[in-house]
Amino acid sequence: MRDHVLWIFLVLLTLTGCRQGQETTGTINEGQSVYYWRTDLHLDSTERAFLRTHHINKVYCRYFDVVMGDDGPQPNATITFSDTLPTDVGLVPTVYITEDCMHAPHPGLAEKVVRRICQMNETNDLGPVTEIQIDCDYTARSRKVYYDFLKGIHYQLSIINCQLSTTIRLHQLSMPVPPVDYGVMMIYNTGDPGKFMERNPILDIRDVVPYLRWLPDYQLPLAAAYPVYSWQREIHGVRIEHTVEADDILRVKTAVESKRPELRRSIITYCLDKENINRYQPETYEAIYHH
Amino acid sequence: MKRFITISLLAALWIPMSACIWWTNHNNYLFSPYDPQEFRERVENTCNDNWKTYLGSTEEYYWFDADEAIKTARRKNDALMVTYIQNLQKYLKCSDEKREEQWDYPTKQQLAKRRQTLLAVRSYAETKLKSRLRSQHALLVMRCNMLLGEHSRNVTFWHTTGSKMIESVYRDMMYNIYAGALNNTGSEQIAGKIFAEQGDWASLMTMFYKRRSYQAIRQEYLKEPDSPVLKFLLKDFVNNAQEAIDADGQEGAIGGKLFIRDISKQEAQQMCQLCQQVVREGKTDVPVMWQMAKAWLEYLFGNKQQAVSDIAMTETMEGTQRMKDNARVLRFYINAAQMGDGKKLDDFVASELAWLGDKTKDEGFFLDAQARITHQVLMKRYASQPVRLLAIEKATGCGEFDLGADTIEVRFLEQYITYATTPATTATPSTAPTPAVSTAGHTLDAYLKAHQHADLDAMNDLVGTKYMRLCRWDDALEWLRRVPIAYYNDKGYAPYAALRSWDIEPWIQRQWLKDDVVYGDGRWTLKGNPKVTFATLMRQLESTAALLDVKARCQRSYDLAIRYAQASFRGDCWFLMRDGKSVTDTVRCHETDFGAKALALLAEAARSSDVTLRQRALFARCYGELHPSWWYRKEWNDKTIDYDLLPDSRSSQYQAFAALDAYVRQQPAATYVSRCDEYQQWKKLKK
Repeated sequence: MRDHVLWIFLVLLTLTGCRQGQETTGTINEGQSVYYWRTDLHLDSTERAFLRTHHINKVYCRYFDVVMGDDGPQPNATITFSDTLPTDVGLVPTVYITEDCMHAPHPGLAEKVVRRICQMNETNDLGPVTEIQIDCDYTARSRKVYYDFLKGIHYQLSIINCQLSTTIRLHQLSMPVPPVDYGVMMIYNTGDPGKFMERNPILDIRDVVPYLRWLPDYQLPLAAAYPVYSWQREIHGVRIEHTVEADDILRVKTAVESKRPELRRSIITYCLDKENINRYQPETYEAIYHH
Repeated sequence: MKRFITISLLAALWIPMSACIWWTNHNNYLFSPYDPQEFRERVENTCNDNWKTYLGSTEEYYWFDADEAIKTARRKNDALMVTYIQNLQKYLKCSDEKREEQWDYPTKQQLAKRRQTLLAVRSYAETKLKSRLRSQHALLVMRCNMLLGEHSRNVTFWHTTGSKMIESVYRDMMYNIYAGALNNTGSEQIAGKIFAEQGDWASLMTMFYKRRSYQAIRQEYLKEPDSPVLKFLLKDFVNNAQEAIDADGQEGAIGGKLFIRDISKQEAQQMCQLCQQVVREGKTDVPVMWQMAKAWLEYLFGNKQQAVSDIAMTETMEGTQRMKDNARVLRFYINAAQMGDGKKLDDFVASELAWLGDKTKDEGFFLDAQARITHQVLMKRYASQPVRLLAIEKATGCGEFDLGADTIEVRFLEQYITYATTPATTATPSTAPTPAVSTAGHTLDAYLKAHQHADLDAMNDLVGTKYMRLCRWDDALEWLRRVPIAYYNDKGYAPYAALRSWDIEPWIQRQWLKDDVVYGDGRWTLKGNPKVTFATLMRQLESTAALLDVKARCQRSYDLAIRYAQASFRGDCWFLMRDGKSVTDTVRCHETDFGAKALALLAEAARSSDVTLRQRALFARCYGELHPSWWYRKEWNDKTIDYDLLPDSRSSQYQAFAALDAYVRQQPAATYVSRCDEYQQWKKLKK
C-alpha cells in the first residue's frame, strides 16, 4: 500500500508541468485543426495567415518519435522550438511510436513519454499541456501492448484532467476501440505506393469505402484527418506527382460523414506547410473544414 | 570520440519528417568511390590508439573510459593529464546531453548549468595552451565554443592558435570544428572543401542537401577540376539516378531512402557528357571515377553496349584503390549481364565472386554490391541452371535462397542437396546434376561447392513438403521422417500446428486462434511431426479408397476433401504445405491445387445415395476458399459511393450455389444451409 501511495505521489510530481481543470469526458472539442510534422517549429507568413483565415484552433504538433533502440524504446528526432504559435491556437503534443516498440510491454514507457512532453513544454515556455496524441500503426500483433500503454498514459493524464487521443488508421477500425478520450481517423496513406499507377496511394475512395461499415458503431468519439500533402517523383524525365484532387477529398468526406455525421465537427488536415497551402484554392480548405 | 563529429553539423540538419518509410531489398547503390566512414573511423581509431598507448592497454579495440584514464594518470603522477581528463569528462557529459535523445529532457536550470560548465571548462583549457598537452586543450576550447554556439570565436581561435599546433588527430578535429564554424558564419564554400578533404561526408550532406545537381557538379569542376567535393557530389548524383531507375522498375520501394533526389534522363545524359569531357581534358587525377560514373549511368539508362566499352576502359585508368575496386564491382555487374553464356561467363563469375567474397569482409559496400549483382544479374543468367542458381544464392547469402528452394522443382532440390554435400573434386562437368550446364563449369562449381552450408533438417523438411504438395505421400514420408520434432517446435507456425485440426469441416467451422495465443510468449511442444502424421493418414485414406463399396467411397471422398481443403494454402492447416500465410498467396508452381482437388472429391461425394452426405457435399462445394474466384464481381459505383455486387454465373462458386439451391428445393434444407448468410445473399442477388 505504501508503494502504491508513493507511486501516485511520483506521478503527480512528474506531471506538475501539466495543467489541471480541463474537461476530459471523452468528447472532442469541435473545430478546425492541422498537423505539424517538421523537426523545427517555425511558421512563415503564409502558414500564419492560414491559421488565421481558417480559424484553426489546434495544431497537433509532432514532438518526437519513439523508436526501438538497443536498450528499448528511445526518443528520436525531437522537435526544436524556434517559434511559437499564435496565442489563440492550442498546441497538442503528438508522439509517433513505431509499431515494433509495441511488440512487447516496456514498463515505465508511458510515464517517460508524459514526463518528457511536460518537460518540453516547461523548458520551452509553451504553457501547460492540456492534451496529448499518440500515433502508432498498431496491428493485431501489437494492439494489446499498445492499448495497455495507452491505458498507462491515460491514467496519468486523467489525474490532471488532460485529454488523450490516438490516431486510428482505417484497418484499425475493425479492432476493439482504444482506451482514449477520442480517436482521429487517419484518412490518408490508404493505398499501396507500389501500385501508384492503378490508384492514388494517398487517398482513393475505393480504398476507403470497405472500412466505412465499421464507422457507425465504432464506440469512440472521432475526428477526421484528411490529406493535403503531395508526393513527387521524377522517373525518366517524367514527373509523377501524387496529390489528391480537391473533389476526391470532398467525395471521401461526404462518404465518411454520411456514415458518421459527427465527423464533420472536428476536422484536421495533414499537414501545415506552405506548399500544401498554395496547392489548393482557399475555397477547397473552406469546403474541407465545412461543418 | 565519435561524439565529436556528429555534434558539429548534424545537429542543424533539417529533414522533412515522414511517419512511413518503406524499406527495400536489392537496390543497394553500386557507385561508391570512397569509404563513407573514412573520417569518423580515422579520428576514432587514432584517438583510441593514443589512449591505448598512454594506458598500456593490450585490448584489440579500446573504448575510452575516463575513470580508468584518470587512475592511470594518477599512477604516473601526471597531474596535467588528470585535470585534462576531468575537464574533458565534463565537456563530454554536456555534449552527450545535447546530442543524445534522452528521456530526460533538460530543464531550464539544467541548460543554464550546462552553459556554466562549458564556460568553466573553456576558462580552464585556455590556461593550458602552452602546456605539454596544448593540442588537447586547444581542442577543448574549440569544442566548448561549438557547444556554446560561439562560432566566430572558433574561427578566430583557429587562425590565432589551432592552426599553429603540430599535425595530430587533435588538430584535425580542430580543423573540422573550424569548418563547421565557417559554415555557420557564411563561408560555406571553404567549409565544404575542408569537409571533403577530411572525408566528413555526413557534414557535407548537410551542407549540400538542397544543392545537388548536374549543374552544381559542373560548376564545381570548372572552378577546380580535382575539388575534393566532387567525389561526394558525383556519388550522390549517380546513386540518385540509380534510385530513380530502381523505382521505375519497381526494384526498390518508392519513397524509401533518405536524401533522395530524382534524376531525369536528360540530366543523366548531360552528366555522361561531362564525365567524357573530364576524362578527355585530363585535368583530374582520378579519371577512373568519372569513367565508371559514365559507364554506370549509360547502363542504367539503357545504353548497355556503350556501358560495356566504357567500363572496359576503367581497367587501366588512374584513381584511388577504392575507386579501382568500385570500378571492378561495376565491371562484374555490367560484363556478367552482357557476356554470352558458356565457359567464359562461368570462369568470369567464379573469379569475380571469389574476389568480391573476400572484399565483403572489408566493408559493407561490397556485401551490398554482391547482393545486387546476385539478384539482378546472376539469378537471370543462371535461371536455366537451377542447381547452380541455388548454389549461387546460397554462396552469396543474399536471401534469395529460401524462396528459390521453396519454388524449385523437387528433383532439382534433391540434386542440389547432393551437389552441396559432395566435395568439389567429384563434380565433373559430365556428372554435374544440372541440365543445360556449360560443359566446362569447373571453376564456378569449385567455388560454389566450397561455399555451401546446407541446413539438413530444413532441406529434408522442404523436400518432404514439396512431395506433399504433389500428393506423393510415400516420397514425402521418406524425407520427413528424418526431421526431428524439435525442428517443428521452433517454427513460427507451431501454435497453429498444435491447436488446429485437419479433421474439422472448414465450411462448417473455422478454427480461429486468438491473437494472444499466436503472438504470446508461450512455447509450443508438438506431440509428433505434424507432416508425418498428415502424410501417413492421407496415404492410408487414399490407398484403401479403391477397396471400398460405392457408398463408403463417397464418404471417403468427402473425408479426403476435408483434409485437402484444410491443407490448402487457404485452409486452416496451411502450415502443412507452407511456412507462412498471406492473403496474396496463390497456388504455386510445382504444387497441386488442393482447393480444386477438394472440389473434385466433393463432386464424387455429392453423387452419394446418402441424402445427408449429398447435401453436405453440395454445401461444401459452395465454400469460397476452394474456388479461384467468388460468385460475384465487385464494381465501383460512383453514384452510391460503394461497390455493387454483380453475380457471375460463369464462376464455379456460383454454379455450386445453383446446384445446392436446386437440391434444397427438392429436399429439406439442413440448418447449416438455411442459416448460411452467403447462400441467402446468393439467393437474393442471383440472376
